[in-house]
Amino acid sequence: MSSKPKRGDVLDPKLAVEIRQATIGYSSKEPLLSSINIQFFKGEIVAIAGPSGIGKTTLLRTIAGLVPPLDGNFFIDGKENKPSRGELGYIPQRLGLVRHASVYHNVLLGALAGHTSPWFPYSSAAKKIALEAISSVGLDDKIRTPIRRLSGGQQRRVATARTLAQRPSIILADEFLGELDDETMNLVMEKVTSYVRESNATLIVVEHDISRAKEMADRILIMEDGRLNPFVNEPISIELDKEFEKEVNN
Amino acid sequence: MKSRYLSSAEETSDVQETILSSIWFSSRWFVLIGCLVFLSVVVTNSMVDNWGRLANGSDNLFAFINESLWPPDWSVTEPQAYPVCTEPEWRDFTCSTAWIGVIETLKIAFVATIFGMIISLPISLLAARNLNPWWVSFPARFILAASRSLPSIIWAIFFVILVGLGPLSGILAMTVYTVGYLGKLQYEAIEGVSRPPLEASEAMGHGWLERSFGMIIPESANGLISQLIFMFEYNFRHGTVIGIVGAGGIGYYINLYLKFLQYDKVIAYLLIIFIVVLLLDLVSIAARSFFTEDGDVTRPPSSWWGIFLPSAMIDLLKPK
Ligand SMILES: Nc1ncnc2c1ncn2[C@@H]1O[C@H](COP(=O)(O)OP(=O)(O)OP(=O)(O)O)[C@@H](O)[C@H]1O
Ligand SMILES: [Mg+2]
Repeated sequence: MSSKPKRGDVLDPKLAVEIRQATIGYSSKEPLLSSINIQFFKGEIVAIAGPSGIGKTTLLRTIAGLVPPLDGNFFIDGKENKPSRGELGYIPQRLGLVRHASVYHNVLLGALAGHTSPWFPYSSAAKKIALEAISSVGLDDKIRTPIRRLSGGQQRRVATARTLAQRPSIILADEFLGELDDETMNLVMEKVTSYVRESNATLIVVEHDISRAKEMADRILIMEDGRLNPFVNEPISIELDKEFEKEVNN
Repeated sequence: MKSRYLSSAEETSDVQETILSSIWFSSRWFVLIGCLVFLSVVVTNSMVDNWGRLANGSDNLFAFINESLWPPDWSVTEPQAYPVCTEPEWRDFTCSTAWIGVIETLKIAFVATIFGMIISLPISLLAARNLNPWWVSFPARFILAASRSLPSIIWAIFFVILVGLGPLSGILAMTVYTVGYLGKLQYEAIEGVSRPPLEASEAMGHGWLERSFGMIIPESANGLISQLIFMFEYNFRHGTVIGIVGAGGIGYYINLYLKFLQYDKVIAYLLIIFIVVLLLDLVSIAARSFFTEDGDVTRPPSSWWGIFLPSAMIDLLKPK
């Protein structure tokens, strides 16, 4: 591993993403998160929840290197610069699919990022991987359909397949289970989480549905008041809820 | 301490302000357009010393039409006397100057549009500011602006001097102009591509090739194709002009008869050009319907002519 420790620190080799003293937002007058420290480990699934407009998407975009942090340091796999090609998979909230191209074309773009070099983006292995990823999200019958003729949930599955085909070591997923019925949601969730477990990858998922987040994640972070707090009091409140339910039922 | 009186006075002025600003907000487009129209009238007035000429203009026009233009002399669609026409009679019009000129102009326009696109597309991918740093996009824009800054007729004169009379100089002139004009349209279409696909691409770590050919070009394909068709039609219309300086096509014949003051033949050529432009327009509507999102809704039309009609009319005409 080519980790370059900064400032004489020894970085934990199990670390996938480390954020140190970072301030995040679009203007330093109104930062969305200030002076936060977080660590995300390999093989871990972390859910981020919080009210709408609080800055969850902005945090993911900053980790992905699309928005510069206002202050502080970001380390991806021990390196303090943009993630290297194919290392990071991003399922944006607004999906970012090529609307006029087919499902296959879109998923292939992910596979190419993960399995070819930038100056010769072609390989037959990548094509096979793309087709596998499409069938893993249950879109076999839509391979040649342009994105603009798919439903919202189908488009979300295409974006997920694109990231799975990329086989990244870090996945940033922004509400990727939206608009899906329970069965499809379980299928997609299962595919993504089992990929993360098998390849010791890291999944950072924005999920405002707490019960879904609990089902998926090893830990949950709640974003509020410019900070990211661990979600702690939930077990108690669940039991309270259950007791309350019992009382009501009796 | 604030007195009650003061605060209520403040309230009234607040209310007035919101009324004024809402009036301004709802009428700002009318005000803006009104100002622009007024400015244009003032500028025109400052350049024209005698508006009476406008009145004479219509008299002149009627005299010109009656004496010289009308009726058009359709002999231009008959075979030329020389070289002798060897075609069978039912298609001897293909020996006419009108046919030969139109076909040559169409050929020049077609070839120049295709060559122009092949050259301009890579340059416009470099010129797009959302794909490249300024030190790449600025020189690329400079090249495009330079080839666009002269109208195609000036390029035609230039190439006639360089390579002599004939269609080759027409093709070269039009290609150069197409590169500049089409390139500008293309990089604007590319810069109009929405952010999310570009961000996804950047996060994945795509290289320039994947981003350009995998994301940008398919995403802006609608715009690129309709611009290409527009450019072909544009080049056909301008092909008539560059022929005047000897760069091939129907303009050669128009220039010839203009010199001999045979305006009735000239008007026949112009009407033919008009008809061809109309036909090209229909073809371009048909071609674009395959690429736009509306096309998804209205296609498939009930028959081939359906593509020329709005979908509402198709529904009316459909057999029940
Ligand atoms: N490109 C941008 N420039 C400036 N401000 C932005 C930009 N994008 C988002 N914002 C602002 O930053 C804040 C956080 O936005 P963000 O998209 O991160 O919220 P979110 O937590 O993901 O919300 P949601 O759950 O609704 O998706 C919002 O107030 C939004 O208006
Ligand atoms: Mg969001």
